[in-house]
Amino acid sequence: MHSAGLATAGTPRQPSKRRIPVSHLGMSDPHQLFDDTSSAQSRGYGAQREPSGLGYPTASASPQGAFLNDPVSNMAMAYGSSLAAQGKELVDKNIDRFIPVTKLKYYFAVDTLYVGKKLGLLFFPYLHQDWEVQYQQDTPVAPRFDINAPDLYIPAMAFITYILVAGLALGTQERFSPDLLGLQASSALAWLTLEVLAILLSLYLVTANTDLTTIDLVAFLGYKYVGMIGGVLMGLLFGKIGYYLVLGWCCVSIFVFMIRTLRLKILAEAAAEGVPVRGARNQLRMYLTMAVAAAQPLLMYWLTFHLVR
Amino acid sequence: MAFTLYSLLQAALLCVNAIAVLHEERFLKNIGWGTDQGIGGFGEEPGIKSQLMNLIRSVRTVMRVPLIVINSVAIVLLLLFG
Repeated sequence: MHSAGLATAGTPRQPSKRRIPVSHLGMSDPHQLFDDTSSAQSRGYGAQREPSGLGYPTASASPQGAFLNDPVSNMAMAYGSSLAAQGKELVDKNIDRFIPVTKLKYYFAVDTLYVGKKLGLLFFPYLHQDWEVQYQQDTPVAPRFDINAPDLYIPAMAFITYILVAGLALGTQERFSPDLLGLQASSALAWLTLEVLAILLSLYLVTANTDLTTIDLVAFLGYKYVGMIGGVLMGLLFGKIGYYLVLGWCCVSIFVFMIRTLRLKILAEAAAEGVPVRGARNQLRMYLTMAVAAAQPLLMYWLTFHLVR
Repeated sequence: MAFTLYSLLQAALLCVNAIAVLHEERFLKNIGWGTDQGIGGFGEEPGIKSQLMNLIRSVRTVMRVPLIVINSVAIVLLLLFG
């Protein structure tokens, strides 16, 4: 399958939306987010397992064997398992209405290489030239294949690590108690929610027609936790000087990172053409981008300064 | 650092209440933010002021009845649990 795909490796890319041919990714199915590793294993399992009525191992030497051989309890278990299967189907059908599970899966399709490169980009975004997200047949490529795509893995992990590091910092200052940990988590989450709501409101007010979804926004706003963790850890090791140095560096990096990423999303038309069209409207959007980027260092400082003494 | 999710919810409830209380005739028309004064033809860009007026009007229309319910629940909870 791979060899046939690689034969068409010379396909040129369109300039407008950076569509990449399937062969460049080396995937058999272009819409597949994760590698399919199920086939080899399940064949092995199917050959080994005896087909008992419920898939339980028929080890009849134990007293459980006598329990399973009773026809009434067999029927009861069959009925119970069919009920459970029905319930699972119902939940699977309806869960997509409340939590967009399939959309969320896209944001967690990462691998170690992507995480490493993205962390490097968050700490040093100055040399990266191409910030545009690659598309494939109108859907964004999974984060594994494109370093510019937003993901939720790094923000989620960074958030949890931030809470743990906050607990550590409070512990070294003899100020720790378990409910303080919950308070830190709740406070950081509340600031994140407030930021997302404020940005959504301002995007609505300036009528920016972007393809920036809410989850994208949460992902971008979650990247600042990485800098915060770095700052607090340095502050624990080297005191206030280390904290201010590393925090200052991370603040500037996040500022540049956010501006370069959001510019392509919010100011899409102007950035692509390079010519300012309808100046007043683009000016508003530029101010919005700058305000969002400037709020990141402020929040980074506000959420960490009380942890370093 | 007492900024919790619960206080965010309370603040949001108070803000939505504040928007819902703005009276159309006595107040909004007097400061030029009435709903019939904003629509400036079929221009491409609505502009911030008309977007804001649209937002206020939609919040007032949509949240009138749910706010009654949410406020009653909040009042009962605050009475019981302080």
